[in-house]
Amino acid sequence: MKKRVFYWISGNNVREPVVSLVVLETGAMVNILKAKMEPREGFLILEVTGSELQVDSAITILKKYGEAEDIPKIIQKDDNLCIDCGSCVVHCPVGALSVDSDYKILLDEDECIGCKNCAKVCPVNAIKVFEI
Amino acid sequence: MKTVFEINEKIRNNNAVVVTAEEMISIVDELGAEKAALEVDVVTTGTFGAMCSSGAFLNFGHSDPPIKMYRTLINGVEAYSGVAAVDAYMGATQVNSDDDIDIAYGGAHVLEDLVAGKEVELVAEGYTTDCYPRKKVATTITIDDLNQAILINPRNCYQSYNGATNSTEEKLYTYMGALLPEYGNLNYSGAGQLNPMQNDYNRETKTYNTLGMGTRIFLGGAEGYIIGAGTQHSPNNAFGTMMVKGNLKEMNIKYLRGATIPKYGCTLFMGIGVPIPVLNAEIAKACAIKDEDIQIPVLDYGVPRRSRPTVGTINYNEARTGKVKLEVEVSGKKVEKTIKTASVSSYKVSREISKELQDWILNGEFMLTERLEPLEKYAPKPMKAKMKLVKDILSRPAVVGTIKMSITEASRILIENNINHLPIVDEKEMLSGIITSWDIAKAMAQDIGSISEIMTKSVLCATPDETIDMAARKMSRNNISGLPIVDSNNMVVGVVSAEDISKLIGRTGLNKI
Repeated sequence: MKKRVFYWISGNNVREPVVSLVVLETGAMVNILKAKMEPREGFLILEVTGSELQVDSAITILKKYGEAEDIPKIIQKDDNLCIDCGSCVVHCPVGALSVDSDYKILLDEDECIGCKNCAKVCPVNAIKVFEI
Repeated sequence: MKTVFEINEKIRNNNAVVVTAEEMISIVDELGAEKAALEVDVVTTGTFGAMCSSGAFLNFGHSDPPIKMYRTLINGVEAYSGVAAVDAYMGATQVNSDDDIDIAYGGAHVLEDLVAGKEVELVAEGYTTDCYPRKKVATTITIDDLNQAILINPRNCYQSYNGATNSTEEKLYTYMGALLPEYGNLNYSGAGQLNPMQNDYNRETKTYNTLGMGTRIFLGGAEGYIIGAGTQHSPNNAFGTMMVKGNLKEMNIKYLRGATIPKYGCTLFMGIGVPIPVLNAEIAKACAIKDEDIQIPVLDYGVPRRSRPTVGTINYNEARTGKVKLEVEVSGKKVEKTIKTASVSSYKVSREISKELQDWILNGEFMLTERLEPLEKYAPKPMKAKMKLVKDILSRPAVVGTIKMSITEASRILIENNINHLPIVDEKEMLSGIITSWDIAKAMAQDIGSISEIMTKSVLCATPDETIDMAARKMSRNNISGLPIVDSNNMVVGVVSAEDISKLIGRTGLNKI
């Protein structure tokens, strides 16, 4: 499974190698989608991939050093606006957009990393990516 | 041999056999063209894609007191009103006059909003006459307030279109969509085996079997007509186009959508379907054309010239798989590259159009017409306009400097030659950097002693065969004032500066370039 979280590292823990710790202890894969570290606080957007157990233990470790919050849906494709042209598909770096056998454009919201490439090329503004 | 009259009788009697162009493929495969022509009465086609050459004549009716509109804006988008007092033509690609909105809203969006029944703002200015004393009008209207809203699209429904790819190191924004660097993608457009003109094309005579002026068609969800060959119609190489007309008031935004191609402009996605009466075996055979039989020449949009180099040819079947293999040239070597393909038109909606038209005919709601005239035979010509290349304004020999040179030497060269840019070459005389008089001024102020410390190492350059327009755009986009011109061996052959170009324009006049 895959889970994306907002993560705030609290003051005293900013120097802790939290992400490495999570990887080593749980074996889960952690992708840092965004990171902003300051002397007394840190903010990250993390994507944790692994079995349910791995992801759960990863979140438990993360919570030991700070606060984690699930990220709500970051992308939305309006099927009423979409004209199923397919301009977006090649611009997705992670394959979240695809064409099905009926030439309908499909979006896998769970795969999206919020890069906005698709939203920028969509000729009819059918894709909205929420700021995270 | 059947006639259109007989087919219409069958439609009225509810016993016409109507199939989509996709269905026709297997019918002809199975029965052969002769038998298929006996079995099938009508083949329906469809296409849905960006068709820039679109627009509508709008008649607003007379205000009281009356106005002779000479500048007309709808939702901030200008419509051409140099026709009669209260008529205007809203072109699909006309962009918004408001800089803040920019290209994101244009004529195509106004047309979509009208079709959607939304209220739009009409602002028009006139010059006063004795019969038209009103100076300005500002009001809100919907499509119902218009006397006529007639879609007349000068060039729609391209029979074939080329694919677009990009050999350069920069991402390009074109009317074919965003093209990633180094052949990152290949964008193509068109409905292939469902395309109306492909299905009606006689490959031997290079003419169209049934369609022509007067052919009733599916246009934007309503009935419309072909009124002649489209502009740039080029039947000899299967690049036919058609001019179409329909009533905007009856159309549906499912098949008429305003769109913005990023960093290019706006355009109208149009849905068009043409019914083809299967009068004989020859027509049946043409209707069985398959995606794999339709070629897509792939052009390199990295070369912004009228004739872009062809990188290769693929067919619609290959294009629809999502990736194709092409032999391309990368830094002088031929390599096979797998390129991802992207459609910029919708095959899904094209199918829906061919099915909807099929339903209309089966339900007896749509009768076929016989054309009044076949499409004219044109061969488009390029524009008669002079072009200047970079090499035409290069002064030779090139003035260059070397890395080992002192700053004082370099500044002397600049002054002696009255120039501001000095390309720096290595021992093999290849370009390795550039310095400007500003760099020298900075070096003096900061007490820096060597060329290598002040020169710009990653240099943007141009070639002698590029057009002056390309060089000017490169400078303005990158906010620089000079471009070293290099040959294919990276040897400097000169410099073109912003001053050179402004002198050229100042001396000869913009229209002579």
